[in-house]
Amino acid sequence: MTTLTIPARLEEGANPRPLPWRRMAWVTWRHHRIALGGVAVFLGALAVWLSLVGLQLHHAYAAAIDCHPAGSTACGELVINFDTTGGILKGGFVLQPVPALIGAFVGPLVLAYEFETGTFRYAWTQAFGRWRWTLAKLVMLGVAVAAIAGAFSVLVSWYYQPYLAPGRLYSAASPLHHWLFDLSGVAFAAWTLTAFAIGALAGMLIRRVVPAIVATLACYTALAVVAGDVLRADYQPASHFWRVQWIEGGGLLALSALLIAVTIWLVHRRAA
Amino acid sequence: MTAVTVPVRPAEGANPRPLPWRRMAWVSWRHHRIALSGVAVFVGALALWMWITGLQLRHAYAAAAACHPASSATCQNLIAAFQSTNVILKGGFVLQPVPGLIGAFVGAPMLAREIETGTFRYAWTQGFGRRRWALAKLVLVGVAVTAVAGAFSVLVSWYYQPYLATGNGTVFSSPSPLSPGLFDLRGVAFAAWTLAAFAIGALAGMLIRRVVPAIVATLAAYTGLALLAGNVLRQYYLTPLVAKGSNLPDSAWITSEWWTKGGKFAFGGRPSVGLLQQLCPSSFNAGPGGRVGTGSFSPSTCLVQHGYTQWSDYQPASHFWPFQWIEGGWLLALSVLLIAVTVWLVRRRVA
Repeated sequence: MTTLTIPARLEEGANPRPLPWRRMAWVTWRHHRIALGGVAVFLGALAVWLSLVGLQLHHAYAAAIDCHPAGSTACGELVINFDTTGGILKGGFVLQPVPALIGAFVGPLVLAYEFETGTFRYAWTQAFGRWRWTLAKLVMLGVAVAAIAGAFSVLVSWYYQPYLAPGRLYSAASPLHHWLFDLSGVAFAAWTLTAFAIGALAGMLIRRVVPAIVATLACYTALAVVAGDVLRADYQPASHFWRVQWIEGGGLLALSALLIAVTIWLVHRRAA
Repeated sequence: MTAVTVPVRPAEGANPRPLPWRRMAWVSWRHHRIALSGVAVFVGALALWMWITGLQLRHAYAAAAACHPASSATCQNLIAAFQSTNVILKGGFVLQPVPGLIGAFVGAPMLAREIETGTFRYAWTQGFGRRRWALAKLVLVGVAVTAVAGAFSVLVSWYYQPYLATGNGTVFSSPSPLSPGLFDLRGVAFAAWTLAAFAIGALAGMLIRRVVPAIVATLAAYTGLALLAGNVLRQYYLTPLVAKGSNLPDSAWITSEWWTKGGKFAFGGRPSVGLLQQLCPSSFNAGPGGRVGTGSFSPSTCLVQHGYTQWSDYQPASHFWPFQWIEGGWLLALSVLLIAVTVWLVRRRVA
């Protein structure tokens, strides 16, 4: 990367240069390795806990399902045993803040940190061009964060599978139920990406890290409440699960792309 | 405040100067007004929400409690309506993160920001003395944050009062005031937890010296401590009472159950399916219609008929205030210790 300073605006008619993604990937990793490492440790610890409790849960479920005759009191005991396994994970409530936390603690770091410490004066005056730099960073971090969250949500889906399996244990929770819906399928990764995009835009607008983190958490909470209570309120049959997942995932992806585009436009416009 | 630089250690035998608290209060406010206003806005918004939903809850409770006879369908509907009002707040778990969030976002940046941005080189070389400066700031902001949390917990107690009201105990199943979701939202515990989170944040900020990692570390440490206290430590504050059977009032917090036979310990928790099969083979008959758990045959009846006795360890509701003082006391001691360590570290660090 050359260190010549060039004017903030590209000249009219300049050829668009291709973005060297591999070099920017290295730069992004060097800048944000602690944040990404922290996310990996956090989700890793959660994954270990979910695996341990999930194995117990699946054993209890298998024992309860295999019990015959199904209506007897003894088999009822096994159902109660299954019911009380899992503790605070049961309603899917405890895992709700995870996308918000990931997005809030990674998103603002990209821009707000540069502003707060003044290092934007160095980063944005590279020959590389400030908005290409921002685009590369945001896209790569967004993809990384969404991919980690997506992998985690596969484990979460495995965990909650006994509750959603049709069976004679009790009326299986609908997969469209509030808290379980956005932990499975594509929704979890989509919400994490959205939280990251909100964080990036908040970082650009507020220009201070800690207020940007707080603003991201607040906006995410408001958005999640609106989506859960208002947009998904009408009870839908379980067969609509994947359709609603793709609709919600698509909507969130479009929202994230819009927020990231606005962020990059603001980077381009701001007089250094 | 003079700008003369003085050596890091005061001369031996120097007279201890009094701390000008009012001037330090002004300085602390100027430095942390955004954080403190943010806490006020956050707690204020929560308080407004709880006040509005609390009034709804009280209307529903009054309607259900005034309805007679209690077993009629109309009254049962009113009770069901009451129980389903504001389900999200019902167990108290939604408010559990609040002390941790306040402590992490106010406490961690207090010292970490100074060190991260390098402004400690100016702040700590005033004639005032870095130790007194750090102590004054931590104490003043800590007290302010604790006071706000204490005021909020009064509102929270007001909110949950219909759930904990006794008198209509046979109509509503009410939670125990000692239950993990509700205990540390009321009394002195909420304010004490906020102070502890703030102290953890201040120490984390001093040790880690970067703001965002310090916030994350504070949230993690607070979560660990809260889980430890709620699940492990709290039940041992006072010796639990022992009762035969499980016929305890709703307000009791049952900490363990076990069965004995002939005076000797048999097993803890619920009976295993193998034991039931051995003692009461007829329990393996399906109930009418194949539904689960119908009929008059229950595991407890089966065991009692074979000479087993059930015992419960529990904490009665009358232990609520002793527990509050015990928990508030050790949290206060922990906070004082953490703040003392933080101030000591400020003194020791080579500028």
